[in-house]
Amino acid sequence: MMAFNLAFRNLLGAGLRTWLNVIVLSFSFVIIIWTKGLLEGWDRQAKNDMIKWEIGGGQYWHASYDPYDPFTLSDSHGTIPGELAAIANDTSVVPVLIAQGTIFPAGRMQSVLIKGIPPEQKLLALPTEKLVSVDNDIPAIIGSTMAENTKLGEGDYVTLRWRDRNGTFDATEIRISGIFETTVPTVDVGQVWIPMEKLREMMLLPGEATLIIAGEMSGGIPVNEEWVFKDHRTLLADIEQIIKAKSSMGMIIWAILLMLAMLAVFDTQVFSIFRRQKEIGTYVALGMTRGEVVKLFTIEGAMNSVLAAMVGALYGIPLLTLQAVNGIAIPVKSSDYGIAMAEKLYPVYSLGLIAGTVFIVMLVTTIVSYWPSRKIARLNPTEALRGRMQ
Amino acid sequence: MGSGRFTALNGIDLTVGKGEFAGIIGPSGSGKTTLLNIIGTLDVPSEGRAVILGQSVAGLTPAASASLRKSKLGFIFQSYNLFQVHTVFENVEFPLLLQGIETAKRRQMVLDALEWVGLTDKIKSRPAQLSGGESQRVAIARAMVKRPAIVLADEPTANLDAANSHNILQTMEKLNRELQTTFLFATHDEKVISYVRRKIILLDGKVDRDEIIEKN
Repeated sequence: MMAFNLAFRNLLGAGLRTWLNVIVLSFSFVIIIWTKGLLEGWDRQAKNDMIKWEIGGGQYWHASYDPYDPFTLSDSHGTIPGELAAIANDTSVVPVLIAQGTIFPAGRMQSVLIKGIPPEQKLLALPTEKLVSVDNDIPAIIGSTMAENTKLGEGDYVTLRWRDRNGTFDATEIRISGIFETTVPTVDVGQVWIPMEKLREMMLLPGEATLIIAGEMSGGIPVNEEWVFKDHRTLLADIEQIIKAKSSMGMIIWAILLMLAMLAVFDTQVFSIFRRQKEIGTYVALGMTRGEVVKLFTIEGAMNSVLAAMVGALYGIPLLTLQAVNGIAIPVKSSDYGIAMAEKLYPVYSLGLIAGTVFIVMLVTTIVSYWPSRKIARLNPTEALRGRMQ
Repeated sequence: MGSGRFTALNGIDLTVGKGEFAGIIGPSGSGKTTLLNIIGTLDVPSEGRAVILGQSVAGLTPAASASLRKSKLGFIFQSYNLFQVHTVFENVEFPLLLQGIETAKRRQMVLDALEWVGLTDKIKSRPAQLSGGESQRVAIARAMVKRPAIVLADEPTANLDAANSHNILQTMEKLNRELQTTFLFATHDEKVISYVRRKIILLDGKVDRDEIIEKN
């Protein structure tokens, strides 16, 4: 306790030098917590949005389906297994049929994925109620990025061409009945959503689907071998990889920031030991062992991080809380990033994140403070008392 | 640059008794500070034996010598060596903190020590706000607060004017008489020499003379 009291007095007594270190170190605290909170918030929001818009409680894929291989699409479809068909309603099981097609907006040709989905479904956030056909035309909904890329607007008609199960090309006009805003590019870019039954009719695949989206309660029910259940872990693996990659970049920034702060602490410690030799000699003369003096100087250095945590909390808590409540506007479009990204990100600051960051910074500061302080153990007290350089 | 060893002290044979007020006197380089450092357990003789309060300096572990300094030895330095960021009270309190004396007792002991040196009105001042004489009186209070058996003073008046020198020497003489604390000075200052009751004169690392001064 005495060492802490003394260290605190010495630290405050050092005045401006202490406060400069403390302020630099407090920036490290706040920026590390901010960037980690931002990534955590992004991760959480991206996953939630993907669950809400695309994957529900998990998906049953047809055994042949591979989303990264368009050539598998013609073979990856089958009838909905009885176990799932029995519980199917608008919120528990939603079948989706996927086919390749081409649209011709404004005379240009663009490949698309045609996705058939029951208009009455309530499991996904897609506004499929707009797929209810009022005339004999084929209603279609597209995402806002798709609409922007193709210059299609609500009420526009566009030619859609596809190949049915026999390999025969056919074409028809579809009407854009709705454009939705989403943060999930994989339901937006290059996708055209039309009524399930219409697509089955067009593809000559009655009662069939490529994948079946399960609700929270219906995921993982054992079905026949033709269907493979993909849980959240599998379906969110890509996004986790991307977040991980972004975290690695963040780590480099934190490391640089932490290194700069540690450099300041290290420099102060070295300077202190050089400048305070007489004081060190006096401590020894008054009865401290050299080990105790090393401890005192280490605590002094480490206390920079304690003060920095306090100073950081002073401006960091209001600042970070404000951002967590109001969100941070993101200037890039989600489609540019390839993963779900809202226009506003809401950072998430968990207790674990804050406590972990404070612990790591304090630990590193203590090590950096101890390192130069070890020199004290080698000082000759009689020389130190005279303030001679050693 | 020389690579040979320098012999600071040679053939010293001295005994200093309890309650003495003695001066180790000699010109610069005569070895008086080295002798004081050995007595203060800050240094160890390369040969021979130094026994302080019944303990051989060479046989002390670092912790034991620190413990001896903490409880039995007081130091007064030429340039005061006060802790600049601490107040007068905190400076004097420091040796008691090291001993782990409880707060109320510690406070009383500090106030007593500051009263001995006449600085009770400066307890909240910082060393930078004190004159040289006041700083050295704080140093005396810091050395005396733990009631040590021996106080070692290395050129305590070197940075003081005559009036302040006499003032602090009278203070130390008074404490020596009242508390029976042994005072050992390393000095070549005539003012100090005029106060000591024993002169140990060092020349080239050897005791040249050892005189007891009879005072009325």
